[in-house]
Amino acid sequence: MPVYDVEATKTTGLVNRLIAEKARPQADVFWSGEFSQTIVLKNKSVLAPYQSPSAEDIPAQYKDADGYWTGFGGRARIFIVNTDLLTPSQFPHSVYDMLESTYPGKTIGIAYPMFGTTATHAAALYSYLGKEKAHAFFTSLNNRNVRVVDGNSVVRDLVADGQLVYGLTDTDDACGAVESGRNVTIVIPDQGEGEMGTLVIPNTVALIAGAPHPAEAKVFMDYLLDKKSESVMVASGWIQIPVRDIPASTCINSTGIKTIPITYQDTYDALQPAQNDLTELFIR
Amino acid sequence: MAVPSFFSRFRTGLTPDTMVSTLATGLFFFLLLCPLIGLSFDLLHAFMTGSADLAAPLVLSPRRTGLLVASIGLAAAVAGAGVILGVLFVSALIRLPGKLLCGILFLLLALAGIPPYIHALTWSEVMQVAGAALPGLPTTGWLISFWVELMALLPLSVFLTWIAFASIDIRLVDAGRLVRSDISILRHIIIPLAAPALGAAFGFVFLICCTDFSVPSLFGADVYALDIFAQFSASNSAAQAFLYALPLLLVTLIVMIACRSGIRTLAQTPNWFSARFGNPPVFPRWFRFLQTTAAIIVGVQIFVLFFGLMLAVGSPDTFITSIRMAQNELVYSLLTAVLVIFISLPLALAAAQELKKPGIRGATAWIIVLVPLAVPAPLIGIGMITLGNLPVLSAIYPALLMPALVSVIKFAPFAAIILFIQMRFIDPLLLDAAAVFARSRTDALTRIHLPLFAPGLVVSAGILAALTLAELGATLIVAPPGHATITMRIYNYLHYGSSSDVAGLCLMVTLLTLVVCSGTMLALRFISRNPAPPDGESIV
Repeated sequence: MPVYDVEATKTTGLVNRLIAEKARPQADVFWSGEFSQTIVLKNKSVLAPYQSPSAEDIPAQYKDADGYWTGFGGRARIFIVNTDLLTPSQFPHSVYDMLESTYPGKTIGIAYPMFGTTATHAAALYSYLGKEKAHAFFTSLNNRNVRVVDGNSVVRDLVADGQLVYGLTDTDDACGAVESGRNVTIVIPDQGEGEMGTLVIPNTVALIAGAPHPAEAKVFMDYLLDKKSESVMVASGWIQIPVRDIPASTCINSTGIKTIPITYQDTYDALQPAQNDLTELFIR
Repeated sequence: MAVPSFFSRFRTGLTPDTMVSTLATGLFFFLLLCPLIGLSFDLLHAFMTGSADLAAPLVLSPRRTGLLVASIGLAAAVAGAGVILGVLFVSALIRLPGKLLCGILFLLLALAGIPPYIHALTWSEVMQVAGAALPGLPTTGWLISFWVELMALLPLSVFLTWIAFASIDIRLVDAGRLVRSDISILRHIIIPLAAPALGAAFGFVFLICCTDFSVPSLFGADVYALDIFAQFSASNSAAQAFLYALPLLLVTLIVMIACRSGIRTLAQTPNWFSARFGNPPVFPRWFRFLQTTAAIIVGVQIFVLFFGLMLAVGSPDTFITSIRMAQNELVYSLLTAVLVIFISLPLALAAAQELKKPGIRGATAWIIVLVPLAVPAPLIGIGMITLGNLPVLSAIYPALLMPALVSVIKFAPFAAIILFIQMRFIDPLLLDAAAVFARSRTDALTRIHLPLFAPGLVVSAGILAALTLAELGATLIVAPPGHATITMRIYNYLHYGSSSDVAGLCLMVTLLTLVVCSGTMLALRFISRNPAPPDGESIV
């Protein structure tokens, strides 16, 4: 049975709970909408290796080399744009557009880059660009007084309500607004020639070490990692970017999406230094 | 001889009643300290293994000092403004008839149970509309954070201010009214007499504001509580987060201890509906203008929240659907609330005796009772999980009980304080008479003690139920697999932007809190009907 994570404490609370319960686990499976906290659990010896037969057709880049976790379809970091306020020629195309003076900083939004998937995206930028360039990027963003809000869903709501012209968020948040008929559209950033691409964040699933019900846990993981399950999750809107050759979400055309050329381990390694740096920068 | 005399005194002091009472008090205080014990073990483990940087949190950098000062400033401004608005509004309420007054007060108490984040979202919508009409209106920053936080805590501020007003002796006011104007009575008698209790109201609102980051962060104002969460998120170390939280914890603890005398003053409140003048007061025009302004602000807050939620719900069908979809969570929330009441009341009743004690013993009891109120909710959850997973305790880890236990830790102190207040109105001679003349202990308990404590127990039960229904931060951390409360569902919906479902569930929580308040009121009326004992029957 699941224990749901919520916006108020993000994955951090749940992960800390699993770490605290390590001596006497209550959970069987950890299923997360991202990967960095799953790697935290692996490093804290909370997970046990399990290579599901259902995951054989999942590309190696989405799987832990030691078999502690497996990734499957997920979401991407994208811009949500208000189509009442911007014409297609004015749409942003790169994360660097957020630094351009075309629009006042306060009309552009991001979530706090120390939490959730925005933190993961920031860590990916720190890893790809290097600490100095990434720090300079976020400093400029902060100096422009870009609207920094409590979560990706808030970015979506503010753009959909017309309080922001565009914002950086996740496909799952943005697709909700697109599918409910709001005047918004999705732009995948940095897809041009020579641009770095965007971050795709897979779901990850892992077996808990010492799980009370290991056999049932494996059955559940096999089911979850099955190609049919991924199709169902795409169709239901839970995931937008499949990792296998299955029909993509109707909300976003993710075929051939260009991703930032770094590994998930690289992103994880940059996460804590990036969070510390950004906390100093954004909370003052 | 000294030694036998000592043992003899000790033996005679250890009656079964005192043993049970001491055991219950000890259990209560242990329970309240459990999160801190758990966090201390985590801290010790982190120190021994060197797994977390424990030095950094102890250095209060200029950035963190700035955040702390800003947080204290915001909380003080919100609490101060809340109490001022409360004084203005309550001074206007005292002319109202009793039933209407009860209605307004319980409506405010029900609204106080809504999480601040919901107030923030509703006001965010209002600001958007207002911003379109008035382009210069700020939509982010400290001013708007202050306003929304004030609006979120206004119902509680007004309610607490009312209790502060009710704590004064109305006979002193009536005596003063014979020779002085009503505004002079307010300035020179009512406010000075109510000052300690108003201080307690300020303290409670300050405490809640200091530990909340949801509203300021939504409007782009950074506070210290957000920094604690950021450190927690970056380090994944509860020990480190605990150390980061220490300065804020210290500030809130100092404020709560300073409010202790105010809480004691509340104990002298003879009747919480007594602060009504015999004849309507006559205030000067400028003061009536301020009262009207305060009343409009309170009215706007009630209107914005209630009608904002109703508009967002859209139709009765949506409301019913959202309730139907959340019925499991609703049942679990209600069961948890009932469990919290049953665990808290006997323990709080025993602890209330300890709060009455003079000197260092009473002061220590007060500090232990006030400490959980100053600890951020997620740390209470993590502390309990850490403690529950220690090798010696893991075998008895009460997974299903954990949501109830964290609510007991967070809210039973309120019950202990209310019962302490109740205790001050009970004639100790009645209890002594019961001890001497009662046929049995059960008889004394059921026919003397419980009826005497009933009003305090009923009010405590109502407040425990209302607060437990709205709890999120700690429950979320400890909720057992397969179980979720109604607030957990609300926050899940918030994440996915399902505004009609969120509004429907919030409306349901508001109505539930109103039902709890009305039930408490009816129970109080039933208890205070004071029937004559049946002929020929003696209670002893």
